Amino acid sequence: MTAMARYAIVAVALFLALGLQLHNATALLPFAAWPAWPFDPAAMDTNQIILAYAVLPRGAVAILAGAALGLTGFLFQQVLRNPIADASTLGLSSGAQLFIVAATLFLPSAIDGSREMVALAGAATATAIVFFLGWRRNFEPVTMVVSGLLVGVTASAVAAALTLSQGEYLMSLVTWNGGSLSQQDWSTAERLAVELGIALVASFFLMRPLRLLALGDTAARSLGVGVTAIRLAVAAIGIFLAAGVSAKLGLIGFVGLAAPHLAKAVGIRNESPLMVASTAAGALLLWLCDGLVQFAAQAAAEQFPTGAVTALLGGPLLLWLLPKIRHAKRPAHAQLHLVRKSSPAAAATLVLIVGIALAASLLVGRSEGVWHWLSLTEFEQFLPMRWPRLLAACAAGGLLALAGAMLQRLTSNEMASPEVLGVSGGAGIGFAMALTFAASPTQWQMLAGAGAGAVTATLLVLAYAQRRHLEPDRLLLAGVATSSLGTAILGALLAIGDQRAWQILNWLGGTASTATESSAVLLAALAVATLAVALTFVRWLTLLPLGNAANVALGMPQRSARVLIVASAAVATAAASLLVGPLSFVGLMGPHLARQSGFVRTREHLLASFAIGAALMVLADFGARNLAFPYELPLGLFAALVGAPYLMWQIGWRR
Amino acid sequence: MTRVAAIDWAMLETAIALGVTPIAATELIAFRDKAVEPAIPPSVADLGLRGSPNYEYLHALKPDLILSSPFYARQEAALEAIAPVYSLPFYVRGEPPYEKALNAVSELGRKLELGEQAEQLLAWQAARIGLMREKLATAAKTPVYIVNIGDARHFRAFGADSMFGDIAARLGLVNAWTDRSRFTFAAPVPLEALAARPEAAIIIVSDIPVEARTSLRDSMIWQSLEPVRKSRVFQIGNVNPYGGICAAMRFASLVTPALVQPREQR
Repeated sequence: MTAMARYAIVAVALFLALGLQLHNATALLPFAAWPAWPFDPAAMDTNQIILAYAVLPRGAVAILAGAALGLTGFLFQQVLRNPIADASTLGLSSGAQLFIVAATLFLPSAIDGSREMVALAGAATATAIVFFLGWRRNFEPVTMVVSGLLVGVTASAVAAALTLSQGEYLMSLVTWNGGSLSQQDWSTAERLAVELGIALVASFFLMRPLRLLALGDTAARSLGVGVTAIRLAVAAIGIFLAAGVSAKLGLIGFVGLAAPHLAKAVGIRNESPLMVASTAAGALLLWLCDGLVQFAAQAAAEQFPTGAVTALLGGPLLLWLLPKIRHAKRPAHAQLHLVRKSSPAAAATLVLIVGIALAASLLVGRSEGVWHWLSLTEFEQFLPMRWPRLLAACAAGGLLALAGAMLQRLTSNEMASPEVLGVSGGAGIGFAMALTFAASPTQWQMLAGAGAGAVTATLLVLAYAQRRHLEPDRLLLAGVATSSLGTAILGALLAIGDQRAWQILNWLGGTASTATESSAVLLAALAVATLAVALTFVRWLTLLPLGNAANVALGMPQRSARVLIVASAAVATAAASLLVGPLSFVGLMGPHLARQSGFVRTREHLLASFAIGAALMVLADFGARNLAFPYELPLGLFAALVGAPYLMWQIGWRR
Repeated sequence: MTRVAAIDWAMLETAIALGVTPIAATELIAFRDKAVEPAIPPSVADLGLRGSPNYEYLHALKPDLILSSPFYARQEAALEAIAPVYSLPFYVRGEPPYEKALNAVSELGRKLELGEQAEQLLAWQAARIGLMREKLATAAKTPVYIVNIGDARHFRAFGADSMFGDIAARLGLVNAWTDRSRFTFAAPVPLEALAARPEAAIIIVSDIPVEARTSLRDSMIWQSLEPVRKSRVFQIGNVNPYGGICAAMRFASLVTPALVQPREQR
């Protein structure tokens, strides 16, 4: 494409955005009736006030917020040398929203004036966590984005649990509003303009060190750049901007991710022009999106929050960007040097822990708030109700941890987990489809829907990663892209709003109590079968992390090995997430704990992960049943709540 | 007497309206706050969340019959293992629900062998609706928006397919919101949508969230709306939007005096 053609496309987009803005405004009020500047509300009729204080500021806010997000995306991508960094992929916006949810619940009157500060604290916390996680791997793009996703999932689980603890069950799983741009005066636009101005000025001062940082950390250091200080300063500007947008408008995903790439696509290369162009591209993109949303709202009477619509861009955008990601050279995995025999004592302890978890779950009861051992009659009464859910929880936990262990070995990335593979998101969409097509679907129809969704998502990830030889990083990122697409579609469905939404929410929380005798046995059989299949992969899982050259030399069927391993992990995840919902960190924690307990060799690692996953899920179920008796907490949510502190502890411990 | 447990809130209401006090029901803390009526005696055990009721607790209470709705299809198998489940539809997407709530009264009445009570209840209900309709005859000329405020910029709208919209129509009121209902957690409709019918009145169902109160009062758009300028905004107490016959009645009896009384509320 010639430079001319590229600029023509920009001009068309600009024209279109302006046209939509004018169309949406004149649809309300013909141009002749527009109020005169300066606006005087006392002299206006309602439509004039709506134009002057809702339609026009909305356009301004779209432009300013888009610009702020575009600048944020540019700054993060530049400073991390990571083409897929932005406020949404790094978990910043989720952190900001979590803090707002918490403040809304516990200090509702205080938040009226101080949303910004609260959001800032949340965004800063989330960024700190993601940066710490990335630090160990030198801010390597894949780890950063996967950590961002995990922080996002954690934040939404915590927000849900907080809401639930306040008895707002129906609201509990809707973590935050979907980024609506509707306005009622100019105050938001004014504040955004000030914030954007400050950030732009600050960014210009950081331009020179940023340019040097692009040469790489070592080179920049040798030229006298304080790499860490610059990183922190740039991150601070990004946090300030993203938190401001998040506090005022809610979650608006992926505009910041797209903007710098759009600017580059036009042909801009140097840093300073690129910064300005990214800011402009963000502004144009959000303005256009919002214009389309409003246009669609008039045409189809279906008003989606703009944030839910931009989120839909995220998945395809990430997939498009994957080839651009710098290829991190992976050392052969460190754990290979650590091979030592796990002690029989560790194995015995593990068996003991599983046994205790099962016994406690079967034999302890609560009535009227008092803990007690079940009497024989109670035991006989409760056993038919307890064993299916226990068996199902065991199987689900085992399956998730097994999937996690396989994925972590395959990708040599300890952040890999089934949640990241996008399978659960696919299951969620399938579930939503079942609700859409059947007026009151049976349990089996819902299961079939979720299963079909999970399989489709897996095929999508596989098909994509296949073309790139199933490299571990590509696989992970394709998974991240698919799961963010899944989340976005679910978000949009939830925003349409009728009774289906409540049912989707119920599923999102996850509960073992829907397990029946037959479904529990089925899940258990599947778990055992998957474990058996996984054990036949032991050789592959040991050799694949050694890297391409070694595998070719050893005559490994690399591609088919990877496809088979990912397919089994996907089946395991889909089956488990039907029961526990898409949230839960068992697939992440199980394999970690197994490795840290000394089960390092592949076969032992798989077996121990399975056992630990099962025990974790049983314990989570026990907690979910008893913590707020007689109120049962959603199992997946409870498991995620246990997983969140574990994630934090990992950060501290591993440093 | 049959020992009845209720999973669905609309079923819970219907049973109580028929004079049957269930032994157990779900999410009573929220019910007492959000649905308010009918009052639930303290003797009724709280089974926990509707989506995941405590089956062991329910089992220990030995119910003879469990009342549910198709909304809890996922839970039905587990409930069947404890006691027979009786499930009636209240809310089917796109269909007005009031007729279904009345139907539930007769069906449940038949099931519990309380056919006479059910007929009396239905007759009494019809008479009260008729009475209120007469009272509203003059006020009914003003179309009404029935909304629930979500935050300072958005509301939830109740159309003809909602219980509130359906009842309003039976009271002879004209619903200013002609589209289908828009009810979700994140309130989906921006405030300016209320300007479409300047001659309308606005009925706000349930409390305005604390964090939105000041901002709503200061809102330029809200203050510019004709109904707000002319003090045609009425706020009524908490009513369950997915309720049965009691919620319908509660809504009607809160709306009627609000619209009939001289207009002094803000």
